[in-house]
Amino acid sequence: MSAAASILHSMPIRDEILIRARDLRKSYGEYEAVKGVDFEIKRGEAFGFLGANGAGKSTTMRMIGCVSQPSGGTMEVFGLDPHTDGPAIRSRLGVVPQDNTLDGMLTVVENMTVYAGYFGIKRKQAKAKAAELLEFVQLTARSEDQVSDLSGGMQRRLAIARSLINEPDLVILDEPTTGLDPQARHLVWERLFQLKEQGTSILLTTHYMDEAEQLCDRLVVMDEGLIIASGSPRELIDTHVTKEVVEVRFSGIHTTDLHDIAEKLEGIGAQIEPLPDRILVYTDDADATAIAIEARGIHPTSQLARRATLEDVFLRLTGRALVEDE
Amino acid sequence: MATLAETEAPQAKAAELSYLVGAWRAFGLQWALYRHIWNGTVFTSVFLPILYMISIGIGVGSYIDPGATGGLTYAEFIAPGLICSVAVMMLGNDMVYPVFGGYHEWGGGYLHQRSTPLRPVDILNGHLAYAVIFRPFTSCTVVAIVLAFFGVYTSWWAALAVIAAFGVSAALAPWLHAWCSSLKNDAMLNSVYRFAIMPISLFSGVFFPAEQMPGFLQPLVWISPLWHGTELARAATAGAATALPPVAHLAYLVALAIGGWFLARRVIARRLSF
Repeated sequence: MSAAASILHSMPIRDEILIRARDLRKSYGEYEAVKGVDFEIKRGEAFGFLGANGAGKSTTMRMIGCVSQPSGGTMEVFGLDPHTDGPAIRSRLGVVPQDNTLDGMLTVVENMTVYAGYFGIKRKQAKAKAAELLEFVQLTARSEDQVSDLSGGMQRRLAIARSLINEPDLVILDEPTTGLDPQARHLVWERLFQLKEQGTSILLTTHYMDEAEQLCDRLVVMDEGLIIASGSPRELIDTHVTKEVVEVRFSGIHTTDLHDIAEKLEGIGAQIEPLPDRILVYTDDADATAIAIEARGIHPTSQLARRATLEDVFLRLTGRALVEDE
Repeated sequence: MATLAETEAPQAKAAELSYLVGAWRAFGLQWALYRHIWNGTVFTSVFLPILYMISIGIGVGSYIDPGATGGLTYAEFIAPGLICSVAVMMLGNDMVYPVFGGYHEWGGGYLHQRSTPLRPVDILNGHLAYAVIFRPFTSCTVVAIVLAFFGVYTSWWAALAVIAAFGVSAALAPWLHAWCSSLKNDAMLNSVYRFAIMPISLFSGVFFPAEQMPGFLQPLVWISPLWHGTELARAATAGAATALPPVAHLAYLVALAIGGWFLARRVIARRLSF
């Protein structure tokens, strides 16, 4: 049996709800980070919290992880109350925090076995499990190295392996690939996808739309402490934007002039959005749109027709203004 | 109809930890770290006391009239204090940067422990178990044995000096833990050395009788756990009379340990609730 396969407990029971939150709130003094959110997460699904920095997604994750007490509303995790059953809930969670929190002085395998000890896993069993999981994240060859000698991507994979040591019912990942190079990102995605395929429930936050699209069965978009949209990636795209987007560029023409051109394109497609360097035309038929643009006597330097993505949904819902960190 | 996940998973029951089990599990991190640094502590626990004893106990001591130290040779006078001082020195290593770092990305120990079944109090107890039990056991005991070769003990009761060192450690460690847990800026960590470790080490009657200190500094001596521990240790190693009844010294150390633990528990619970 492969290492990854051993993580699988049983086939997912899709109707079983692992987490249920109603009007969940969190305040820090006057500042309300989460302003009353409702969501349910089922066993076996990969659920995502999408949002810009400061949207409230990490705060929500901390409440689910029972390290932050909600200021209002109700939440049940595995049918337990986070307020009174924090240790019991945490014993069934696997957590991959944003900054890994690995111990750089310890070796790779020590990070695994020491962590296993917190769950009361016996040393012999912990060593065997650590070996399996290190194999799963392709770190077997580095198991005796000090963590401080590993690359960022390797440390991330180790943090993921560590989070699986207690065979959790739900793995929580806070921005799992932030700061990683493309190769490392893809390797992490591949492993998370494998976990998901094997029935492990996954909960992640991200501000990478491609990540959410690749990994999440269902997601919510958070903005300023509220859930502003929810559904599968496809549902969100279908609901909030058109099937396709035509990106129209004009060499040497910027902001103000592009707004003038955008006005001339009115009526083509479902929506026109001028950006500083290009115009986005949301449409269900990219070919027809391209012909219509030319028909109005407008000749762009380049036109790129592409499928609408979650990023289009996200920017449309949350706006394009830069949001500062919390 | 969706149903909520039931709770009969075995892990849930395992998560109901006693303080003892919680501390033991959290101690695992400190033990793993110690295995990487133990050789560095040999200097502190073996060579440093030898150097102190040769340079100060024997060297400086040759100029000191035993009458000034209650009839004891100077080496006999400082030996018990050295054993207790090592406990304070160890706390300087174990209860300042490691505690502060526990809450930060570069240390992170407390942060990853917090996402497991361990409660903040378990994390505290695990660290205290290391600093108050394990470290004095591995350092003060060795120091006491090394000093025995200098012939500075008058009876086998000297072994109790190590117990006094445990008392000093237990009395001081939770206060240092609470202090370092409440700091937000690592630049402030130096203040722990300046205003706690250093004055305690210097003004606790280790190297000279505490009553030699100016009157206005006497209250500093009285509140220092190291002074109380040294008094007890000196009674054990040399049969010297204690400033207060031994039980009073002991009661003070116990009271300080208990009060400090409650404070530290409160601070760590606040720091690890986000």
